[in-house]
Amino acid sequence: MTTTTAVSAVPRRRRRARPAGGRGRPLIYLLLAAVLASSVFPLYWTFVVASSDNSAIGEATPPLVPGGNLMENISRVFESSEFSLALMNSAIVATTVAVGNVFFSALAGFAFARLRFRGRNALLVTVVATMMVPTQLGIIPLYLLTTELGWTGHLQALIVPALVSAFGVFWMRQAVDETVPNELVEAAMMDGCSLVRIFWHVALPGIRPAAAVLGLFTFMGAWNDFFWPLIVLNPENPTVQVALSVLASGYYTDYALMLTGALLGVLPVLAVFLLLARQIVGGIMAGAVKG
Amino acid sequence: MAAGGVFARRGVRLAAGLVAGALALTGCGGGDESGGEGEKITLTVATFSDFGYEPLVKDYMAAHPNVTVKLRVTEFDQHHKQLATRLGAGAGAADIEAVEEGYIPQFRQSKDKFVNLADFGAKDLAKQWLPWKWEQSLADSGNFVMGLGTDMGGLALCYRSDLFSAAGLPVERDKVSALWTSWDEYFAVGDRFVGSGSKAKWFDGVGNIYQAMMNQTPYGYFDTSDAYVGDSNPAVKSAFDKVAAVANKPGMSAKLDPFSQQWNVGFKQGTFATLPCPSWMLGLIKDGSGPENAGKWDIAKIPGNGGNWGGSFLTVPKQGKNAKEAYELAKFLTSPDSEAKIFQNVGSLPSQPETLKNPAVLGFKNEYFSNAPVGEIYAKSGETLQPNYRGTRDADVRPVFGRALARVEQGKQSPADAWTQALSEAGKALGK
Amino acid sequence: MRGRLDRHLTPYLFVAPFFVLFAVFGAYPLLATLWMSLHDWHLINGDGGFTGLANYSELFADPDFWNALVNTLSLFVISTVPQLFIALGLAALLNTKLRGRTFWRAGVLVPNVVSVVAVALVFAQVFGRDFGIVNWLLGLVGLEPIDWPANVWSSHLAIAAIVTWRWTGYNALIYLAAMQAVPNDLYESARLDGASTWKAFWTVTVPMIRPTILFTTVVSTIGGLQLFAEPLLFESKGASTGTGGSDRQYQTITMYLYEKGFTLFDAGSAATIAWVLFLIVAVFALINFAVVRRAVASR
Repeated sequence: MTTTTAVSAVPRRRRRARPAGGRGRPLIYLLLAAVLASSVFPLYWTFVVASSDNSAIGEATPPLVPGGNLMENISRVFESSEFSLALMNSAIVATTVAVGNVFFSALAGFAFARLRFRGRNALLVTVVATMMVPTQLGIIPLYLLTTELGWTGHLQALIVPALVSAFGVFWMRQAVDETVPNELVEAAMMDGCSLVRIFWHVALPGIRPAAAVLGLFTFMGAWNDFFWPLIVLNPENPTVQVALSVLASGYYTDYALMLTGALLGVLPVLAVFLLLARQIVGGIMAGAVKG
Repeated sequence: MAAGGVFARRGVRLAAGLVAGALALTGCGGGDESGGEGEKITLTVATFSDFGYEPLVKDYMAAHPNVTVKLRVTEFDQHHKQLATRLGAGAGAADIEAVEEGYIPQFRQSKDKFVNLADFGAKDLAKQWLPWKWEQSLADSGNFVMGLGTDMGGLALCYRSDLFSAAGLPVERDKVSALWTSWDEYFAVGDRFVGSGSKAKWFDGVGNIYQAMMNQTPYGYFDTSDAYVGDSNPAVKSAFDKVAAVANKPGMSAKLDPFSQQWNVGFKQGTFATLPCPSWMLGLIKDGSGPENAGKWDIAKIPGNGGNWGGSFLTVPKQGKNAKEAYELAKFLTSPDSEAKIFQNVGSLPSQPETLKNPAVLGFKNEYFSNAPVGEIYAKSGETLQPNYRGTRDADVRPVFGRALARVEQGKQSPADAWTQALSEAGKALGK
Repeated sequence: MRGRLDRHLTPYLFVAPFFVLFAVFGAYPLLATLWMSLHDWHLINGDGGFTGLANYSELFADPDFWNALVNTLSLFVISTVPQLFIALGLAALLNTKLRGRTFWRAGVLVPNVVSVVAVALVFAQVFGRDFGIVNWLLGLVGLEPIDWPANVWSSHLAIAAIVTWRWTGYNALIYLAAMQAVPNDLYESARLDGASTWKAFWTVTVPMIRPTILFTTVVSTIGGLQLFAEPLLFESKGASTGTGGSDRQYQTITMYLYEKGFTLFDAGSAATIAWVLFLIVAVFALINFAVVRRAVASR
């Protein structure tokens, strides 16, 4: 109850800036259209090849018009690999990783930004330091570890190590610092709120947009990761990227088949992204990493 | 038994215990059943392309009701790298793992991780294969049998008869074969081809040509006692010089990396007139060239001796729980009967003399390649070829020489400089 | 009593999940790698005996390592610097009043979503020697075609283009976020002072989002020094060894690590490279971090 009064006591952020436009407007649209075209072209081209037969890829210039083989290629993808299982596995892994990562990052980020405890600075430096650990570095010991745990071939081998990330903690710490006023946290502490309650009712609402962005980035990262899944998973229980490797198997590559798989693998992410685009993009706005 | 020093091993246990405790995860282990007589067991077979095993496995399971067989297919490179990691970790490998010829020497260094198939009597099967194929799978001067041979990749030379005809060269495959017995003659015909003013180049790139030439030598960078001879073996130097001489010669090389996207485009656009083609490459050429080039490709004899490029072996990693059963399955999958069926299903060329005499194999013609009698051509190539020994550290030096030729091809280095650099890089790779 | 315990213990509980999981799946592999780097370690056969710092002295005497380091720094500079500048400009464009804002903003993130497989194929077409789009354009203005992967400068340019393409939109959105939080009255007073839009951008926007710029710089530095996927997919499929071209002209440190560990099965050397890379990244990040701290403090 005190919380609500405290919230309204804090001035809301001032109106967002929109630097003047007016002149040069067509030029802006032209530039953006060019950027957009180059951004989207490979995706479009994936669709073109996915809808053609394999020999289309041999044309001197990339084919630009879709062919009529999309349905046939799609059914081939589902025949030649465990693709529906792969889609489901990827959804499970990416969702769990995104939710878990956001949650743990928010917890730690809140603690680092707003709570005082012994060793805080040293621990924070450690977090930043861990960002420097190259991901390919520990593959071999990590594989030994997952083997020992009996996780090889199972999804938890992908999920558990990815549940936390230094990037996430760093990002959420900045977000808390930016959006959760210190006065608010102190007032709640005065009132005798437990830290868990403060995190839940005071910090979380403010950082929700930033959390959405982190969730999206983590989801995309987990979905597209291929180096580690290829080593630790098997084709009988694949993620999308592992299934793509199955489609690429053989002495020669069936590009039409592979890119159909790639297209099918991208569509769910794209759908999630487009559905959430408004909130997410709005979220990035609000959860700005500002000093 | 598995890799890892005492420290690392204990570390793993400790860390594993931590996680298991912290997260209270229970019973997620692999849960492989032990395979007593008559007990139900599952065998996994890991390959890197369609080996044509699906129908065979069905037959096998019908005949062995206690055995369930699962097939695992991964991309070529990934398959071998994953196998290496899993052998190193001591778990996770399939019961039967296919290993391609090019990777065999590298895995031979780790033969302790594999079951010696001689223990199950594999030596009695020796006669089943062409002698060189059998020898490729051996270690310990023949006492250790690493794997059972599957297919092979007999060498031939694919050519575009339409481009030949336009250049005033013969187009009929026997006459084309008669144009060259040696590589020198092949390159000389190339000069004639280039002289005719054709827009196409003579061959696809130095990578394939050099590979084919090296595969015709009895031994390459290492002699049969496994000593490095890359700097002294005249066969290496001679092959290198011959290829280097034409690598950057106008009109000769289309300068394409084998298996690259550009190479694929090259087929369709008719960028080059010839390339050495092992049997497994035909599907690729057909796919790359597309239906509009049907009937333009034909197949002639490869210059030099017969040769082989590719083909695989089925190995049984020691970490599996059902080695004996895995061996029985591998034996079944590589039996002459099975190889004949595989040839009919997916076209993999058998590596066994008996199967190669099978009329179904001998009489096989490929419509796309101007109806060339591919069964006969490749069977002959496989029967006449000399074994090609590859040292255990072949993979450390082979790419070095390939890259040297690529530098010549790209016009970055003279043949002499490229050779010098290759020798020093090879020496470095071997720690000399 | 309960409250004091809560105040003292809970912060540790909040940060504990990160540190526990990191200890197991981050720090443990890191230390095990250090252990491996002190041994002659074969990927499959395992420990071949303690060799002390021999792997390290070998690495520092290895010209291929220095070559990879130079390549990495070169690629890092020519891909990260333009990338961040373009992202800044793109963010400024997106920060204006636009019709269909969501559409434009979603569009710039697409490169980050598209599967690497598709990216590899498209750029093989773009930078193809014989039939590539770029060479075709060069031909229109009368220039000779370029064999992009063959030379140092051309391969670096091409890879930088791929990296820039993949990551600019991502950074632009982070900048855009920060720009939206810049108070409007600052622009108004700048305008009253007679500053042009261009000038306001440099005197108001950029200083205000400086912490974000530094944040992206730190993250891009760490990512750039570990550059792997883009140069690897620039290799043709038949030769995905991590060598980075016929003369290692675009081999980065992580590719060198990959070549040693997974192509040559020399896990001891790979572990050594990993640790040296870790230290290099640490030095760069500490420099960045010091700058970040100073910048934040100076505010």
